Amino acid sequence: MATEGAGNLASGSWRVELGSCAGQRMLSSERLALPDYEYLAQRHVLTYMEDAVCQLLENKEDISQYGIARFFTEYFNSVCQGTHILFREFSFIQATPHNRASFLRAFWRCFRTVGKNGDLLTMKEYHCLLQLLCPDFPLELTQKAARIVLMDDAMDCLMSFSDFLLAFQIQFYYSEFLESVAAIYQDLLSGKNPNAVIVPTSSSGQHRQRPTLGEAGMLEGVEASLFSQCLENLCDRHKYSCPPLALVKEVLSNVQRLTFYGFLVALSKHHGINQALGALPDKGDLMHDPAMDEELERLVVRSRLHRTSRQHRAEEPGAFGFQRRDKLEAPERVPSASATTPYPYRWEPRE
Amino acid sequence: MIPGKYRSVSGRATNNVNCGLHLVIQTSSLPEKNKVEFKLHKETPSFPGRLLQHDLERNYSSRQGEHINLVSSSMPSFPILQRSSEEKILYSDRLTLERQKLTVCPIIDGEEHLRLLNFQHNFITRIQNISNLQKLIFLDLYDNQIEEISGLCTLRSLRVLLLGKNRIKKISNLENLKSLDVLDLHGNQITTIENVNHLCDLRVLNLARNLLSHVDNLNGLDSLTELNLRHNQITFVRDVDNLPSLQRLFLSFNNISTFESVCCLADSTSLSDITFDGNPIAQESWYRHTVLQNMMQLRQLDMKRITEEERRMASVIAKKEEEKKRESHKQSLLKEKKRLTINNVARKWDLQQQRVTNIATNQDGKDSDSPSQDPCQVDGSTISAFPEETGSLDSGLSNALQGLSVTDTYLVEVDGDTLSLYGSGALESLDRNWSVQTAGMVTTVSFTFIEFDEIVQVLPKLKIKFPNSLHLKFKETNLVMLQQFNALAQLRRIDQLTVDPQGNPVVSFTLWKYYVLFRLSHFSMQKINGTEVTQNDMIMAERLFGILAHVASSELPQYRLISILGDARKKQFRYLLESKGKKPGIVNEENNDSKRLAGENTNRATLNYTTRDFYNEKLEEIKEKKKFCKTYIEDLVKEATEINMKNEALQKLWPQMFIELVRDAVIEIRNKNSYMKLCLQKITDQK
Repeated sequence: MATEGAGNLASGSWRVELGSCAGQRMLSSERLALPDYEYLAQRHVLTYMEDAVCQLLENKEDISQYGIARFFTEYFNSVCQGTHILFREFSFIQATPHNRASFLRAFWRCFRTVGKNGDLLTMKEYHCLLQLLCPDFPLELTQKAARIVLMDDAMDCLMSFSDFLLAFQIQFYYSEFLESVAAIYQDLLSGKNPNAVIVPTSSSGQHRQRPTLGEAGMLEGVEASLFSQCLENLCDRHKYSCPPLALVKEVLSNVQRLTFYGFLVALSKHHGINQALGALPDKGDLMHDPAMDEELERLVVRSRLHRTSRQHRAEEPGAFGFQRRDKLEAPERVPSASATTPYPYRWEPRE
Repeated sequence: MIPGKYRSVSGRATNNVNCGLHLVIQTSSLPEKNKVEFKLHKETPSFPGRLLQHDLERNYSSRQGEHINLVSSSMPSFPILQRSSEEKILYSDRLTLERQKLTVCPIIDGEEHLRLLNFQHNFITRIQNISNLQKLIFLDLYDNQIEEISGLCTLRSLRVLLLGKNRIKKISNLENLKSLDVLDLHGNQITTIENVNHLCDLRVLNLARNLLSHVDNLNGLDSLTELNLRHNQITFVRDVDNLPSLQRLFLSFNNISTFESVCCLADSTSLSDITFDGNPIAQESWYRHTVLQNMMQLRQLDMKRITEEERRMASVIAKKEEEKKRESHKQSLLKEKKRLTINNVARKWDLQQQRVTNIATNQDGKDSDSPSQDPCQVDGSTISAFPEETGSLDSGLSNALQGLSVTDTYLVEVDGDTLSLYGSGALESLDRNWSVQTAGMVTTVSFTFIEFDEIVQVLPKLKIKFPNSLHLKFKETNLVMLQQFNALAQLRRIDQLTVDPQGNPVVSFTLWKYYVLFRLSHFSMQKINGTEVTQNDMIMAERLFGILAHVASSELPQYRLISILGDARKKQFRYLLESKGKKPGIVNEENNDSKRLAGENTNRATLNYTTRDFYNEKLEEIKEKKKFCKTYIEDLVKEATEINMKNEALQKLWPQMFIELVRDAVIEIRNKNSYMKLCLQKITDQK
């Protein structure tokens, strides 16, 4: 049965992860090149299969009541929709790029209204919002994202929703990549060339180099071209997801020198990278989600009715409990119920 | 002033001294006189000229002055005094130089036997030239202009020293006057009592009309029977209980306003006569009976004899007061105990918080910059909130409290309709059997110094035990996340919520109120932190978080819904699940109703809160399961790929095998006749 699932999944997952004609090519060529098991692992199919079985184990009584086949269908469907990460533990959320993108998208959808309202929030408050979706979301990541927005200082400043979201996207999605970049940046800053093979005897030469770099240090940061070279090298061998190299080069080609946070800010503001990542709409459309807005209007109207009806009832003596609601709401529920169709939305990564 | 002076002199003790002196003079007059005369004869030849040279001050108007020649000596410019021999015989041991307009002490020659010397009403500024009068017993320098006590160190037998109405600022240089009996220093400018502790024979000390601000340093004055301190600026009296012989104490016209400031008097067993008139204390209604009650040994108060009747009255009043005091004492003791307990709880809480933040810092490990500020902040705020107030306690109370061990780590208090819980231990009180009445009355529950996660665990109990609780208060409960409010949704009803910013960082968020309103919208809350909730607030809350709820409820896969919602809710949600399973659009009214039975908006129920410990436990569990799943899937996949591989290999081989098989068969049947024979042979063989 599991192999059967794997078969389904393989097709589902390439769509999600690669989502391009290049993916198709890779599928045939890579599949032949790799042993089956490695292929499945690399495509994170195993992760989902494991998780599916785990979820099944967790609720076996209930699931056995409505059918194991039904469960698997639902599970893999929700993976495709990206709703599988809601309220899940952090280790799962960060397990695959797809999960990360899904989480980013869920965060955007759920709290877009906060940004729309124009509230500027602190890092801690954003962290709280993240924790509403993922209870054990680590503070460290939020802090790092905030550092991108605030350029590494004044950590309790207020940030706008879109700034934070875009920075957070880069930090969360490419977190391993950024760590490597930070290491490279530090190396460059201290005068080492991470690409060069360091021969112990060449240390004297390094020493000679340092003073000149100290002068250069007055100009902040590192030289863009050198940095770009190192990053190219990194992208080639990096096993985690990296932003498309062409776009990174584009970012670096615009400047002579840059600092680490300057680089991150540029990455987070680059709309091509946002597009390539595909979890969020363009920056200009960040506040835009008509389908959800419509839904929200319905919810607001309902809550208003709900409240007034409640107050009304509270004034009536002897009326008790929630036994009977006013029918007024019923017609209104119908369209909203249609919105709760099993699979109300599908989003596919951009090409 | 006059009473001051004469009181000391006219007192019983002084009379005795005078008598004694007189007696001594009478008994020893003859031999002494002879001796003095002898000495005089010996010494007169050495000063013959001087006597005649300086008779500047003559014809004194004193009693004995007519017979005395006072002559100034040239060199030190001191007058030299000489008396006629009849005079000497008549008053062999006394010399009176009253009102002689003396500015200095004259040299008194040939009078070594003198026992009494009187310089009253002169203008002497310095005590001089009397060190040879070693027999002197009585020295009177009343009403002069002396600024410092000096020149007395050789007068070892001096028993009465009268220095009233001078300009002395400091009591000093009395070290050798060990047998001093009467010391009169009234009408001077003395500010503190000092250098008198060695005067163990002193019986009368007069310090009236000085500048004393308080009384103490009296130990060693073992014979003191009378102490006059009238007309000073005394505010408190100490050390009087160290005077074993003190009988009379005059404190009139001072600045004593409370009995506490003179309470040492109550410990004196010898005191029988005391005055307080002219003090603020004497104006108080409780003055007389309080003094009487505290000083049972007293016979006279403010020069009035104390009657039995009066004493009885005082004791009755005192008893009443005592009772009242005991009651209030008990009250304040309780209050104090409460305060100390709360302080204690606060301290523990601080420690705990420190530890928690430290752990958090450790966990964060690498980025130590931001969390390191937090402990200090926590510290600062709590310290300022709990200042030590021990200063405000009266001494009796604090004594009583020392016996009271405040090791309690929690406090439970029901005050009217409010149940207050301090410290995590207090949560256990919810297990107690509360009377129906009390439980019914409590509408406000306040939590202080309790970890919110611990509160969450007792919320179901709270719901049962205090069904009418409508108002929840949180202070120092470590509310840090919005999701923690999810836990409150399980209660029956909340009308009001108060979250104190102290110890609850969540309150600093701009969104917290809206989140509370959104998540607890099924309660229709009236007030949050004392502010009325408006319709607009509700709409705003819905606008901000409505989508979250919508996403949470409508997009969550079924299996997740089940696992998120606890068992208790499963039943209610079966309806939801059923309706979800059905085709969209045909959700009927019945379903809607049953959904609403759940009490709270179903789409919000998925937003719940599990306490950190519990969550970590869950994560652990998940980890275990994951491990198992991983190996299980690994095995399965390996098996499957293996089968697949074999299958593929078989698929590759199969065509060739088939061809080979067919070829074999064809070869076998190529010779039809022989094959037929063979087949027949086989058939017959079988039979």
